[in-house]
Amino acid sequence: MLKFLVPVDGSEPSNRAVDHLIKKLQWFRNGVEIHLLNVQHLIPYGSRVSSVVGHDKIAQYHQEEGMAALKAAMQKLDAAKIKYHFHIGVGDEADIICKYAKDKGCDQIFMGTRGLGSVSGLLLGSVATKVIHLSPVPVLLAK
Amino acid sequence: MEFLNELQTTAFWAGLWQIILINIVLSGDNAVVIALAARSLPPRQQKAAVFWGASAAVVMRIILTVIAVEMLKWPWLKLIGAVLLLWIAVKLLIPEDGDDGHIESSDNLFAAIKTILIADLVMSLDNVIGVAAAAKGSLTLLILGLAISIPLVVFGATMLMKLMERWPVIITIGAGLLGWVSGDMAATDPVVKGWVDANAAWLHWFAPAAGAVLVVILGKWLAARAEAERKEVVDLGEASETKAPH
Repeated sequence: MLKFLVPVDGSEPSNRAVDHLIKKLQWFRNGVEIHLLNVQHLIPYGSRVSSVVGHDKIAQYHQEEGMAALKAAMQKLDAAKIKYHFHIGVGDEADIICKYAKDKGCDQIFMGTRGLGSVSGLLLGSVATKVIHLSPVPVLLAK
Repeated sequence: MEFLNELQTTAFWAGLWQIILINIVLSGDNAVVIALAARSLPPRQQKAAVFWGASAAVVMRIILTVIAVEMLKWPWLKLIGAVLLLWIAVKLLIPEDGDDGHIESSDNLFAAIKTILIADLVMSLDNVIGVAAAAKGSLTLLILGLAISIPLVVFGATMLMKLMERWPVIITIGAGLLGWVSGDMAATDPVVKGWVDANAAWLHWFAPAAGAVLVVILGKWLAARAEAERKEVVDLGEASETKAPH
């Protein structure tokens, strides 16, 4: 089965990309295995903060924030009765997205052109731009 | 009148900006701890945890700062402080390594306040050395710096955390500034000041510049090394893998 990595950040444009994917899913005759991914930023002052609050607390924070960002996309897929996996990574968005694509053996990355960081880059968000440059697999961008 | 004269110099305003930025960057770690420790509590208790935690930080910081300013007048202490400050600045840039012994975390008000208090104790000391170094003995700067930064930590812990998560470069700039201040502090220690003024006045700009460059390069290098050592990608969603179809 074709394996898609679908990075989302919970923003409106990124959720629209999920809608688009759901709509076009019958294009793929043998179905698609969907891997949702949300990437959380590393916590600032990581080494100092973790020595006081502990690693678990930080992991829990990342997980809760990640689940919140994934929520809308998961609801859309649930509503469309589509099976999926979901992942939460921590670090630089584009780096982690590409690492995942490689790690999970995904055939393609499917994502919106822009997400939360809509300030930089007029046509393409900075994350999408970097993913195109770094990705080991084809990238499909939904506008 | 001395106070009003001080207000009119460029050095004062430059110093004020320095001290505000250093305050924000050095209070940032404290703010992150407060935000993390309080977030799993019910809203009412959140306020209590932040209030008590931050109040303790304020009191501790004021006392420690006054002591630090006094002590920095002694010979050798500025040199020692400079080295300490360089280390503190580098540490700011190192990411979490995911390995930290055993720290219990329970989600009640008492545990949250305890965490915040420990953070206050550990982190205030750093802040104070940085702030005292940047103030260069000016009490006005010191008081203004504290007055501006403390409300930020108390009322803006979560906002400050989001801000620095999004733009980590703020921390890099702040760490560089700390390196600058520490170089300046080293060059003005009573032990070396006379010699520097007479023979090597260029050290007054070279030492700060070298400090700033050293901190940024060393910090970035250590951060990159920590990042490279991370063998595999962390997956916090892994445990709850496939969603069954309906």
